[in-house]
Amino acid sequence: MHYFTNAHGRRFRLFILKPHSGVPIYRQLLEQVRRMAASGHLPPGTELPSIRELALKHAINPMTVSKVYTLLEAEGVLERNRGKPMTVATPKRAQSPVAKRLEQLEPHVEQVALAARQLELTEQDVVKALHDSWENTDEQPVHRRTRPR
Amino acid sequence: MNSPYIAARGLGKSFSGKQVLADVSFVVEPGDVVGVLGKNGAGKTTLLELVLGFTPATSGGVQLFGYDSYRLPGAAKARIGFVPQQDELVNQLTAADQIGVIASFYPKWDDELVGRLSREWEVDLNQRVKNMSVGQRQKLSILLGLGHKPDVLILDEPVASLDPVARRQFLEQIIEVAADGNRSVVFSSHIVSDVERLANKIWILKDQRMYWQGDFDSLKDSIVRLHARATRPLPESFAIPNALNVQRNGTTATAIVRGWRAEMQDNLAQQLGAELEVEQLTLEEIFLELHR
Repeated sequence: MHYFTNAHGRRFRLFILKPHSGVPIYRQLLEQVRRMAASGHLPPGTELPSIRELALKHAINPMTVSKVYTLLEAEGVLERNRGKPMTVATPKRAQSPVAKRLEQLEPHVEQVALAARQLELTEQDVVKALHDSWENTDEQPVHRRTRPR
Repeated sequence: MNSPYIAARGLGKSFSGKQVLADVSFVVEPGDVVGVLGKNGAGKTTLLELVLGFTPATSGGVQLFGYDSYRLPGAAKARIGFVPQQDELVNQLTAADQIGVIASFYPKWDDELVGRLSREWEVDLNQRVKNMSVGQRQKLSILLGLGHKPDVLILDEPVASLDPVARRQFLEQIIEVAADGNRSVVFSSHIVSDVERLANKIWILKDQRMYWQGDFDSLKDSIVRLHARATRPLPESFAIPNALNVQRNGTTATAIVRGWRAEMQDNLAQQLGAELEVEQLTLEEIFLELHR
């Protein structure tokens, strides 16, 4: 079996690639790395197998692996390190300062404010609605969810 | 920007007035692994022989490392490896002597590589070629094509006689070549699943022409099977653009579509007034559909 070790020292099975499938191999690999990185199965800092290693283990073209690594690097999912293996990158969002992230939110907030005024709602109504919505979109404990009004 | 290793333009070949290849153009860049597909008689072997300069082109031409392939200087020839469909081994020789004969032509011959592979592939070096099984001969023939570490490796049906274990070992060796990034492989094969694993470019020859060529990933994305489901019977005039093959049956229809792009789905569904499902095809299915 092909395993590799993540930053927490846990061993994981390598990717499951089915060349004889309608989905191009690069897309299968791309989606699996993306998913495993997003779900934390591959936490930031996890080293990925080299292009040659992965190509040999799955008997696939090294260019396919190289293409996936390059695409994921451009997406910010992976990081290239000179002379060392590629690693899973720390998500960009966490790195950028609050002000920068608020900037991205601004157009949405503006929309809400405008709509709220047109509906003649008070600031408190909106804050309350946002609060409920906030709780609802919380990914973790289900029991804390409140029903939308 | 690297210049391509192989470049063909308007390549054609006739044997005694019979056209076996017409107007074929392509390039092979360093690092490419090209899978050549086609039915028997589609012109695969002729195409490879033209690239190798074994026979002059009737029209157009091929350049190999920037030289006309039919007038290739010796130094350029040393950068090519070829594994023919029918091996050209000498029956009286032992495997070791056969290797020695070929190695003597190449100053860059890699004894270490050939020795290691013959052990891994279980090629008995003391055995005479005439006593070898077809599979053993094929392995030896591949070793001879690899030993001088060619920049361009051309293989004509290299795995037809290999068992699954030997085939996988062969694939790994091709991956090693490709991982170098500066070497190229062109191979024809009927074992579509091997092509599927290895090739980044696909050439499909059909009726003596290059029917489809390009990036393998885009082939799988661009030729799909569409399933249409409507609530009312589909009209006689029902047509799907770029369809190779439409089968209509009351409220449902399926079609093989060429040149498909994901963003076409919503528009087409609206246009046809039907629910559309896109099925992606394996290389084997694509190959079969293109030959219906």
